[in-house]
Amino acid sequence: MSRLLGVLLTVSVLASPVSSQDSLIARLRRQADSLLSAWRDAQKLAAVADSLEQVRATAGSDTIAVGGLRIIANPSPLPLREAAERAWPVIDSLYGSAVEDLPRYPFIFRAVDPDSSVRRTVLHVGVELPWDLDVRASTNVLLTTVTAPHFDPALADWLGAALRPTLRPEDERAAVFVQLVTAPSEAVRGCFLGDIARCKDVLQLGDSTGLLARWYVTPAEREALVTGSFTDYFARGATAITLQNCRQHRDDACTALLQALPPGSLPRPLGPAARLVLVREALRAGGRDAYRRLVASPNTAIEARLSSAARMDIDSLVARWRNGVVAARPKPLTLPWWAGFAAIGWTAFFGFCALRSSRWRL
Amino acid sequence: MRAMFRAVLHSQWKWSRLIVVLGTVAAFAIPLLSLQGAARADRGALQAPELLRAVQSWGTLYPLLATALGLLMAIAAWAPDHRGRHIHALTLPLARWRYVLLRFGAGFVLLAAPIAGVLIGSSLAVLAATLPPGLQAYPIALAMRFAFAVSVAYAVFFAVSAGTARTAGIILAVIAALILVQVVASMANLNLDLFGAAQTALLLGPGPLAVFAGRWMLVDV
Repeated sequence: MSRLLGVLLTVSVLASPVSSQDSLIARLRRQADSLLSAWRDAQKLAAVADSLEQVRATAGSDTIAVGGLRIIANPSPLPLREAAERAWPVIDSLYGSAVEDLPRYPFIFRAVDPDSSVRRTVLHVGVELPWDLDVRASTNVLLTTVTAPHFDPALADWLGAALRPTLRPEDERAAVFVQLVTAPSEAVRGCFLGDIARCKDVLQLGDSTGLLARWYVTPAEREALVTGSFTDYFARGATAITLQNCRQHRDDACTALLQALPPGSLPRPLGPAARLVLVREALRAGGRDAYRRLVASPNTAIEARLSSAARMDIDSLVARWRNGVVAARPKPLTLPWWAGFAAIGWTAFFGFCALRSSRWRL
Repeated sequence: MRAMFRAVLHSQWKWSRLIVVLGTVAAFAIPLLSLQGAARADRGALQAPELLRAVQSWGTLYPLLATALGLLMAIAAWAPDHRGRHIHALTLPLARWRYVLLRFGAGFVLLAAPIAGVLIGSSLAVLAATLPPGLQAYPIALAMRFAFAVSVAYAVFFAVSAGTARTAGIILAVIAALILVQVVASMANLNLDLFGAAQTALLLGPGPLAVFAGRWMLVDV
């Protein structure tokens, strides 16, 4: 009997934490459900507020429609229609068939007097523009504020910049050429010299393990990276001694410091322009539906998405990107053709002034 | 006329040979020094940014040297005449404009030495250095630019030196008037930027000092 009592007692003692744990989980679940419900309510309220704000911001405004662009703006001398007519072909050529979705994201502008200091009502929707902008500046505003349709976070993270149209793609390629030549990375230099595997590494395509060793190949590069970019970050606390060792050319210390960086904070050897040019190349190669294919499957690896957009294998696309960049070598900083004539002209002019000087020193 | 030019050239050489020799040595040395150390192949991928930084830093010396050479050569061309109150020039059986032209030409001939110094120094520096892939050397473009800058600087200072004290006074008065107008405009809160306009007119486009502006790069992408 006493043994039975003992067993019952033991079972009840062992079961009590389980039941209390069970109740804790239930309580947490209820709290989570409550939070979710509050978040949904807040979302609905925010949507209503946005909608009301949009109505307030667009009251008394005109709508300009050019192609798939919809511009809602108050009456003003801003040359928005002309700007839209210039911007539309550039936008259309980048997003291709996906521009069908652009009318869902209208531009909302409020043209304001640039010289007035009168307080205006604060709007939380749209952009204020001084009404004295010319067509070129207005076109740039449209191109730099257009919403890329279905642009997913994975693509945005990899790209490191917004995918927007540009009026001067050759400048972007020239900037990438300068990066390929001057970036302090042997891998980038290998890419410049034609090693496509290196190009894929520095563009962060494919395998993402061991990036430190693949991006910054030599000990000197790793030391320069630590001492150039992370001295303040590592100078305090437990890493201070390792930093000193790194400064004394100990590669193990430099490597350890760089490996201790939070995920995603190792500086990429190439800036966002390089990846932007690659995406533009893929979209150009893939035709009108290329953008739609690029954004069709956000959970797929970036190289597969680019490959699908361009309708070619990733190695061919990267080789095409590299050739395009190498061909876009910027013009050297020599004098323009007229500068020599101008210098000769000014020399002759001042010489003539000297010839006209008086023989009599009065 | 040729004999006369030779005589003027000889006298001008005597007065300015120190400037010419030192200027030529400096013009020869700057390109060599700008690539010294930075153009080492053992720096790997770090070589290119270091090299460009060094070349850009040393590049600021070319316009300074061009200005200094133009100024000193112009002063040296006229200093003995100023000291002798131009009596020698008045005694010559020669029109004033011909005399000035001879002095002007002789100065240019002497300035050819520093220009050649830049060209030879740049070419040697580039031949001795190992440039990283993607970078290119521009010794001829740099020497041409230096030649234009020296010419403009020399012509400007030569014209000022050849003028009378009255001319110099007028030039100074115009500059002082510009400064005064700008100060008064600032005090009156007027939107007038004379200095900015002057800078644009002198340094941009086909302005007289445009050849001095910008980066002077012996090596670039």
